[in-house]
Amino acid sequence: MTRHALVLVFLAGACAPATTPTYAPAPSAPSRPPAVTTAPKATAPQPGAPPKTIAKAAVPAPAPAPAHRAAPLDLKSLEQRLKASDAIGVLTKLSLKNQVDDLVGRFKSYHQGQRPPTLTELRPAFELLLMKVLSLLQDHDTALANDINASREAIWGVLTDPQKLAQFT
Amino acid sequence: MGRIALVVSAAFAAAAALAADDPKQRQDLTAVIALHGKPCGEVVSYVVQGENDFLATCKDGNRYRVYVKDGRVVVEKR
Repeated sequence: MTRHALVLVFLAGACAPATTPTYAPAPSAPSRPPAVTTAPKATAPQPGAPPKTIAKAAVPAPAPAPAHRAAPLDLKSLEQRLKASDAIGVLTKLSLKNQVDDLVGRFKSYHQGQRPPTLTELRPAFELLLMKVLSLLQDHDTALANDINASREAIWGVLTDPQKLAQFT
Repeated sequence: MGRIALVVSAAFAAAAALAADDPKQRQDLTAVIALHGKPCGEVVSYVVQGENDFLATCKDGNRYRVYVKDGRVVVEKR
């Protein structure tokens, strides 16, 4: 069952997500000054000026919420999560394992100098397999799907580095 | 003659018992068939033919034998 562990290793990527989610809030500092610049006008209130805007400008804006970051993937915890997950059936897990083994085999061939495959050819295969995994997980185990998705580049980094890959095979 | 009829009846009864309908198993078979890139839609029924050996019937009418051989999942069109 060491090859089963390989599936987990592949999915985990063995390291923290390398990418920051794109939906992280952008620095909001540039957007603040306009609100402040309206304050001087408010010191000499016009008859029709709403006083509420003055109060809002005076109150410091709350600090932006910290950007969402997926927790670093721990292999053992991921293994437990995959084992416990009902999102993927036994046959599906085995089928995925077969496909992961095949892809890892192609990477090994690449690292041994065999051409094809080239990295340009391997990347779409990697993306397709990851898509399959995410498709299977996203509806029933969203958290795991998100963590794996966040580790996409880290997993790729393991596969493309012969030394890192050798640690897991 | 009566014994033969009894045996045949028992065989049919056993076959009917193997025609299971576990939604999770159907979902599993659907996912496996899709992973192998075979047209199916979804598995509407299946028959257990043995350990890790299923005959799945798809919504689009396709039928596949899904089984495990040497640690690999095999999907064969029937």
